[in-house]
Parts: sequence; structure tokens; C-alpha cells
Amino acid sequence: MAMPMRRTLAALHRATCSTLKSGEASLDVRHPVPLFLPVRTKKRYFIPPAVGLKEKKRGNTEAKAQAAGIVFRQQYIERPINIACTAGIFDPYIPPEGDARLSTLSKEGLKQRTEQIKQSAASQLAIRKIKEHDSHFTSKNFAEQAQEIFIEAHNALTQFNKEKLHSLVTERCYPEMTRGNRYKTIHWRFIESLEPPKVVHARCPDMVSKGNLYGQVTVRMHSKQTLAIYDRFGRLMLGSEEQPKDVLEYLVIERHLVNPYSQWRLHGKIVPSWAPAKDPIIKTVMIPGPELKPGQEFDALNYQVPKPEAVQWNK
Amino acid sequence: MAAAMTGRGVAFIRNISGLLHSRLQVLAGGPQQLSCLHTSSSLEAKTWERRNRKMYPPQLPDEPRRPAEIHHSRRQIKYSKDKMWYLAKMIRGMSIDQAIAQLEFNDKKGAKIMKEVLLEAQEMAVKNHNVEYKSNLYVAESNSSKGKYLKRIRYHGRGMFGIMDKVYCHYFVKLVEGSPPKTEKKTSFDQAKEYVQNLKNRTIIHSL
Repeated sequence: MAMPMRRTLAALHRATCSTLKSGEASLDVRHPVPLFLPVRTKKRYFIPPAVGLKEKKRGNTEAKAQAAGIVFRQQYIERPINIACTAGIFDPYIPPEGDARLSTLSKEGLKQRTEQIKQSAASQLAIRKIKEHDSHFTSKNFAEQAQEIFIEAHNALTQFNKEKLHSLVTERCYPEMTRGNRYKTIHWRFIESLEPPKVVHARCPDMVSKGNLYGQVTVRMHSKQTLAIYDRFGRLMLGSEEQPKDVLEYLVIERHLVNPYSQWRLHGKIVPSWAPAKDPIIKTVMIPGPELKPGQEFDALNYQVPKPEAVQWNK
Repeated sequence: MAAAMTGRGVAFIRNISGLLHSRLQVLAGGPQQLSCLHTSSSLEAKTWERRNRKMYPPQLPDEPRRPAEIHHSRRQIKYSKDKMWYLAKMIRGMSIDQAIAQLEFNDKKGAKIMKEVLLEAQEMAVKNHNVEYKSNLYVAESNSSKGKYLKRIRYHGRGMFGIMDKVYCHYFVKLVEGSPPKTEKKTSFDQAKEYVQNLKNRTIIHSL
């Protein structure tokens, strides 16, 4: 028994040496191959791995992982802050009541027009500050530029072109524009502008440190647009394709003035308190009813749906 | 016997050296050879949830309104897939209100879980998928499948053991907007008539 075993082992040794040499010749790599391979019969029973788990729980898994050489990257408990745009609209413009209801030819209309541009000294100061940093800034050119930014941004929204949209719209405005729209189709068309756009308000807030200037300019525009939103299944949710609507909007455009590579981007919209209610969506929606005490009954006939307060808010 | 053993031993060693050779070759040209393995393991592919992301193009006004479809599932429910199947088969084709009512008064453990899943799916439909009336849904598809099992030892007498499976199952449901489709119910008399007709239709083909 011993002689044949030694012969087989010797043959094995020779075989492994020969393969090693051939391997070295081709790869020039050394593999520590054991000379004596253990030979076992096939395992004929199965023990589920859960048997050994009771002992594992007492052991220190962290120490074992470290000993094995697994390295975990340092975990940074941080929260990212975006400095390319401000978080809101500072000192928002309060649009006068009855704006765009009166025609320019009547007396009140003329008064409104004259009041608007000479509104306040703060706006003029702000415009002067902006001109320091950006020499090509003029109110007339800027208003048209603002309208172009608005149209391009909404076209990018209909195509869901994320990169283009990020360059035209600030980081604060982007989630407000795109929330809930991922699985919807939006068809938007800008038909014409009813009045030329106008710069009505400007502010230059500085954030955190004194010289860190951001310019926020409010532009008023009155235009005709069509909007149709389709849900995931292609059914119309809101608006219509053919029917255009007259829209009076106050856009806030922002730029980080200190940064020479910054762009003027849409930052938000101001919705005045006297704005008419928007068209409802096509489907019927359930509103939560009033809270009832036990024993109280719900009086459906005399119940009035609470209306939201007429407050100016920033979109 | 000894000679036979050595002969087998030598052949075995040659086998091993062949294996070593092949192993070295595999190490050399690894990534190209491994690309033929199929990459997505069926355990991580959540195709049922992905069906909720399918978008359809906008419909023209003269087309019939497309019914909304909502896919929902729950994974790794601690219940048997066969027992869950009975409940899933029961609610197929029912309207959602009827299904929820039936499951509420069913004594099985899986019924409570299935009711939660249906209510979740109904809420999702109204909130995210633009379904107008929450009762206007019916159960189009309802299935159960095997989840990942845990294995334990079950001790028998005389040192024998068995492997015990701790069973888990997945439950899938598809809700469609609209009233449930009416299935024609065949009476027993109709079925008997059909059977007799089939017997009468038998002929001998290729005969004179």
C-alpha cells in the first residue's frame, strides 16, 4: 500500500512542477499551488448555514472584518448646501391690484404705468449695483432676455431635457417645476406676447458674507399660452391643446453676480393675492371633510367648502 | 489491486494537472470569457414594480379612453405560496370593494396581508396614477410566488435530521380602472349538452 501511494504522490509532484514551469513561462506569475491536494469524497449531507449562527452572534464581527482586511470608507455626516442660488425671493414685489385689467389709454392705466418703473429707490440702487458687475445690463434688453429664458426653459421642460433645464433655471426652481412630472407628458406652447415684458423690481441681497451678491430682478409679462398635461396613460389631465389663455406673470430671474461665469436663470414666480383661480383639473377630487365629534352628524347641504386665503405667495 | 490503484492514481493526477492548466488560462483571459454568463440575477429583478413606470403617448380626443393599470406587490411575506394562491385565485376578477370585503372576513393569515396590499394599491392609484374614483377598480391579475427561504434543521430521532424550510412568499396584484369584465357562467346543463355534442361529432376519418 505504501509503495504505490508514494509513486502516485511523486507523479503528482512532477505534474504540478511541470504545470508551474509552463505557467511561469507564459505568464511570468508565481501561484503558491499546494503540492499535496487533499482528496475527499463528495459530501453527501447538507447542514444549513444557520447552525453556526448562534456562535457567530457572540463574536465581534467588526474586529473580524478589520482583520480580514475589509476597509470601510470614512462616513461623512454632511448635508450639501447649494451656493449657486438663493433659497427664496427676498423682499418680493407686491403687484398692484387690478394690474392688466385696466387699459393703458384710461387715466388710471396711465398712472399705473408711470408708477411702476419709478417704483422705489431700492430697485434703482439694486439695478445700479447689478450694472457694476454686469456692464451689459439694461432694463429694456433684460426684459426681452428674460422672456426668452422663460420660453426656452418651458420648452426644455416639455422635452424633459435636464441639462438644458438646469442651465436655464436655478436649483431652487427646478424641483418646483418638475415635481410629479416624471411620468407625465406636457404640451406647452407660447403663442404671443400681449404686452412687451417690463422690469418692475430688483433687489441685490447678499448671503452669509457681505460681498456675496445675488441679483434678483422681477419681470412682468402678459402673454398667450396653451398648456395640456397628459398623465401616464395619455389621458388629458389639465388644460386643452387648442384653447389659448391670457397669462399675467411676474417672473423672478436671479444671478450670482460675484461669479463671472454665472447666468441669469429663472428663480421663481410671484402669484399675487388678487390672482383669479386657476382652471380645475378634469377629474373629480375628494376633499377631506370637517372633523366631527362623536355623535355629531355631517350636514352635507349646509356645509361650505373652506376657500384658501388670498395671500401672495411665491411659486 | 495495487497496480490498478496506481493506474487510477496516475490518471487522477493527470486530470488535476489538466485542471491547473485550465485554471491558469482562465486567470489570464478572465473578463472576456465571463461575459457569456447572464448578469441580472432573478432575485434582484423587480419587473412587476417597473411596469408602473411605463409611459404611453398622449391620446387623441377621438380614441377610447385608456384604462389605468396599477401594479403593486409585497415581497417576503411570512406565509406559504400555496396557501396564498388560494386567496389570490379567489379575488381574481372581483371589483376592489368586493375583494376587500371578502378578505376582511376571511380567517386566513394571508387575507389580512392581502387586504393591506389592496388598500395600498388603491391609495397609490388615486394619488399617483390619476384614477378618478377609487371604487372604479377591479383586480385583473393576482398571483403569489416563492420568496427566499431560510433553512433550518429539524431534529428527528436516532440522530437523523431533516432540513426545515422557513417559507416566504411574494404577492402581486394588478388593478385596472373600470368595472370588472363579466365572465359567462356555464350551467351544468350547458356543459352536459356540449359533452354529448362532442360525442356525437366523432367520425371515422379516411374511411370508405
